[in-house]
Amino acid sequence: MRRRAKAVPGALQHTAPGALLLACAVALAASLARGEQSPPNGAWQTMRANLYGARPISETDDALMSIEAPASTPDPSATPLVVRFGAPLAGRVRQLRVIIDNNPSPLVTTMNLRAGLPVEEIDLRVRIDRYTSVRAIAETTDGQLEMRSAWVNASGGCSAPPSASAGGMLGEIRFRASADDKALQVSIRHPNNSGFQIDAKSGDPIPPHFISHLRLRAGDDTLVDADTGISLSENPTLRIASREALQGPLVFEATDVPSQRLFTATWNAAAASAGTR
Amino acid sequence: MPSALVTASAALGAALLLPLLAGAADFSVREVAPGVFVHEGRALALDVPGHDDIANLGFIIGTRCVAVIDSGGSVRIGAALRASVRRHTQLPVCYLINTHVHVDHLLGNYAFAAERPQLLGHAQLPAALSRSRDFFLKNYAADLAPAAGAAQLPAPARTVEVGSDLSLDLGGRQLTLRAWPSAHTDCDLSVYDSRTATLFTGDLLFVARTPALDGSLKGWLAALEVLARLPARHVVPGHGAPGDDLAGAVEPERRYLRTLQEVVRGELARGVTLQEALRATDFPGRSDWLLWEQTQPHNIARAYQALEWE
Repeated sequence: MRRRAKAVPGALQHTAPGALLLACAVALAASLARGEQSPPNGAWQTMRANLYGARPISETDDALMSIEAPASTPDPSATPLVVRFGAPLAGRVRQLRVIIDNNPSPLVTTMNLRAGLPVEEIDLRVRIDRYTSVRAIAETTDGQLEMRSAWVNASGGCSAPPSASAGGMLGEIRFRASADDKALQVSIRHPNNSGFQIDAKSGDPIPPHFISHLRLRAGDDTLVDADTGISLSENPTLRIASREALQGPLVFEATDVPSQRLFTATWNAAAASAGTR
Repeated sequence: MPSALVTASAALGAALLLPLLAGAADFSVREVAPGVFVHEGRALALDVPGHDDIANLGFIIGTRCVAVIDSGGSVRIGAALRASVRRHTQLPVCYLINTHVHVDHLLGNYAFAAERPQLLGHAQLPAALSRSRDFFLKNYAADLAPAAGAAQLPAPARTVEVGSDLSLDLGGRQLTLRAWPSAHTDCDLSVYDSRTATLFTGDLLFVARTPALDGSLKGWLAALEVLARLPARHVVPGHGAPGDDLAGAVEPERRYLRTLQEVVRGELARGVTLQEALRATDFPGRSDWLLWEQTQPHNIARAYQALEWE
């Protein structure tokens, strides 16, 4: 199930069933039969030039930084990604970008972290449209770039029907903190429609309706500030794990597009926190 | 039946003849009750040769005509099923019923086009098909007839709403089609033949093969409460061996789904992340199920994302 950094894809038998998922294996089998070992990375080559120019990007040392994603996703519409920073990097990452090469909208997020916040782990759930590289690029406070990537075999994440988690009240926000308050997950009830889905009743395309921005702040002090888009899963979910306990109250804000409505909720540390489980 | 399907079927005839004959050799059906025939799908993975022959298929013969229940995972399998029908009766196939949207149950529909059956399904099936059709055509072209096109996957002409059972007359016997609230998928349909008390559950019931959750965990558990009490003397699951003890056949699946619910609720309560939950390998009763590795992570992902909002 798990993969760190680059490795040769395999695990054909690990593909989940279901109308949409079944074809993952078929598609991968076909690509392997053609002798393709890695997914095409055209989007990245263009984006690299646009985002980072000719700056060197280091891709070694999993102890410094790593990315974990299922080699064959059990749910293309909500694939968990985990980016970890080792001790030398924790607190020294000022920006993290996540890019899914073969998605219609490759840039999942540009996430700015407050300098000094000793983040050791960031978890996201993403849509993955087809067999692709998934990359995390960290920029350190002294301007160094680190990238780690993983291959994920998937199909249909961007056109998959709303899942079992659909429904609920739009904009409802849930916090889940670890017992020691070092890790905090925040989720928002939202379809995060990609614009590639089809309405169950009318058969028409569902217009894009997504969360464009996430922010976590303590008063005016912004800890996490992220531009997001349609490559996040429905019910967008962000988890950060810090070396030190997070101090509440923390305000979470999410911007809805196209309405520009702001959904917001407050997390209070430990037992004092309402809504935390 | 859309005319495009009928028109295209003429051109298909010659192309199908060879695979039909080739496929018929190892394709068998069994009469589980008078006039009720079942082809038992194979317990194969989804990515191996034979992946198009994993679902149970059936047909029921009346005095007037025949109803086919699911058509298999390829036009080749559908053609083999049609050939089996023809070995047992010359009556026309008047109804082709799809129990849900999954490929292993409906990609063979096109093999029946020349019979001009009425296509039937759950009221949500047209929408489910419209979401999936392009995907099927692109990724399953090899399981469809050459030049795979939308005409091979038409929407049902007649649908069944949840709460409004539909009765079909085959001559001398009535079939009752029931649409279920979201369970295995959001478009599950069961078929009951009152003359022999035979119940085709579709994928509401998996026997031996790990159940796959694409709809609603709670909905599925609720559906099983009702399903298990239906007055069936013969039961044909979507996968696995047909039998004569409905409640007994349902019980392992109910236990699995309940366990899934309990395990995931426990993980959520302990703060286990989705990634960690997917990695977990301990699960009570896992050795009872076939093809576990293919299905369990998907089920965990679905259950986790539904239950985390409780």
